[in-house]
Amino acid sequence: MAEFKVDVRLDHHQLLLEAIIRPATLVNYSHLQWELLLRVARRARLLGYLAARLEKNGSLDKIPQRAANLLRSSLIQAKKQQQSVNWELNRVLWALDGREIRIIVLKGMAYQLQDFPNAAGRIFADLDLLVSKEALGQIESMLSKKGWQRHVLTDYDERYYREWSHEIPALVHPERGVEVDVHHTLSSPLGNLKIDPLPFREAAIKVKDKGVYVLSPEDMLLHCAVNLFQNNELADDLRHLLDFHEILQFFSQQQLSFREKLIDRANRLGLGRPLFYSLYFSRLLLHSSAPEQLEKQLNHQPGWLTLRIMHDCVPLALLPQHPDQPSKWVELARLLLYLRSHWLRMPLYRLLPHLAYKFYLSVFPGKSARAKQNG
Amino acid sequence: MKVGQLSLDEFHALLIGQGLRVKMGPFNLSVQTRLPLLIRQLHQMYSHYSLAEEDEIVEFHVRVIPKHSIRQPLARLIRFEVDGRSPFPPVPVEQALATLEWGVNLVIAMRINHLLLFHSATVERNGHVLLLPAWPGSGKTTLSAMLMHRGYRLFSDEFGLMAPETGDFFPLPRLMPLKNQSIEIIRHYLPEAVLGPEIPGTLKGTVAHIRPPQASIERADEAAQPRWIVFPKWVAGAALRLESLPQSEAFLLLATNAFNYEVLGEAAFDAVTRLVRGCECRKLVYSDFDSALVALDELTDG
Repeated sequence: MAEFKVDVRLDHHQLLLEAIIRPATLVNYSHLQWELLLRVARRARLLGYLAARLEKNGSLDKIPQRAANLLRSSLIQAKKQQQSVNWELNRVLWALDGREIRIIVLKGMAYQLQDFPNAAGRIFADLDLLVSKEALGQIESMLSKKGWQRHVLTDYDERYYREWSHEIPALVHPERGVEVDVHHTLSSPLGNLKIDPLPFREAAIKVKDKGVYVLSPEDMLLHCAVNLFQNNELADDLRHLLDFHEILQFFSQQQLSFREKLIDRANRLGLGRPLFYSLYFSRLLLHSSAPEQLEKQLNHQPGWLTLRIMHDCVPLALLPQHPDQPSKWVELARLLLYLRSHWLRMPLYRLLPHLAYKFYLSVFPGKSARAKQNG
Repeated sequence: MKVGQLSLDEFHALLIGQGLRVKMGPFNLSVQTRLPLLIRQLHQMYSHYSLAEEDEIVEFHVRVIPKHSIRQPLARLIRFEVDGRSPFPPVPVEQALATLEWGVNLVIAMRINHLLLFHSATVERNGHVLLLPAWPGSGKTTLSAMLMHRGYRLFSDEFGLMAPETGDFFPLPRLMPLKNQSIEIIRHYLPEAVLGPEIPGTLKGTVAHIRPPQASIERADEAAQPRWIVFPKWVAGAALRLESLPQSEAFLLLATNAFNYEVLGEAAFDAVTRLVRGCECRKLVYSDFDSALVALDELTDG
């Protein structure tokens, strides 16, 4: 492909990280810095986040008008999405009315329910819920009765979800279009990291006046870490590391011993490895103030070679590509992490056919194995 | 500086280099492409646009690049990209111009929420805005093409851009895609109109773009307040009717017509309420353009 010449004097990673770490400096950005920052932040799905920060400290009027317009546009969109997901939760509770089912709200909606600092302007479109495996069938049938439908899936996808995944296929109410993801555990049951959801469910905390639960602060951070370094492929995932970083900072400021409790909990649940990486990269990229000794207390730390490779690859994946000049090295790093994430989630005899099938679909998108109508 | 003041070589150098940075109404757009066909077409069709000011941010970065397909190795396909990502499947290279124009409209509709975006032809006469909201396929483009050659200033054939706080409307004069029979009608009716190439086989059939008049593009910074809202409907053989429309009905039609009404929520509700209260609302049924023009002229006189 022909490459277009672009001004490469601006480091797009540095620009984005500076904007996150020191938002006050944004008022001094030149128009070219703004232009690149806006594009990179959009790709990282962090425009709304930046907009919320600038709005809060009253700087939206002190930056170039065109930048402010795009940031305001994103913030308006984020607020609308938050409202939609909030309403979806309301409808789910209405549909399950009166049943003794303990619903634990996860991720974006949970941050919003607790008004965390990372919730303002956060872009998310799905409602993620955790329930016991026994309640799964009941919830699915009650939601179906009230009009939620399953996405059209192929037999293959259906089997992937039912047997190999930690959630059931997403449910969507056709009038509203918000995806409801119902999880019964926090990571793939086939994966190398066995997570027992029971301690998470038992430690969950009731949200005042809402009739739902959220994970305890320590567990919320562990879930965030597991999602990043166990479940996801890390591509363009800086925003999730930012969630981790902001929530950790929030609770560390409230309770002196919070970080130690977090380490303790991770060691008890065998989740030292993902927490290690989350702490490590929060410090590396987001200048987290959590000291290095902290992750040294974790069990299951990576060996030096693994850490070296992760140190080089993870930032390339987490941070967005330059919109005009995608780098082949970055693509390689992302491919390695993509394979790693699948490797962690599935044994090899399942993984190879799965990747082969996905590759086949990418070349022949129309030819999935017997597409089946659902709902 | 105008695009038309650039030689084809200079123009070419920008498009294959750092991008042609051009002003489109309230936005700036950067276009990159190496396709000789598209470069020649744009040089003609974009000639009235000004280059973006040196020290201004460009909001939208698009490119049109060749795309190689494993399944169709011999097809000459192109891909429209915004910030390196493609919202459409690849199309044949002949459709590059149409895809670029639709792509830019899509990006505006997806990303802009500080303005309320009506799906509407928008023109100005006697200092005030006439809004002609309608669904795709109802002849907005043809009607705006006719009006802009009969003394109306074109704002847009596709978007009514309104600042929800002040009620001001902003011009966004872009190439206007005529479809199928409208192409011949306009060629016949408005021989003075500048048309781009006929592009057959698009999702909407054959398309040819009209270049907005120079005056509309040059005055694209001049916002105006709305005064008339007319919902047009072309019906073959129908006698002309311009009837007044209850405000409540106009409100519902406008609210369901805006791209981002739901996203803006309460701000949109308030803005549409004020808009409808401040405007004369009409319903127009027509089959013949000349009589529609007389009726609209009468409405917008003085």
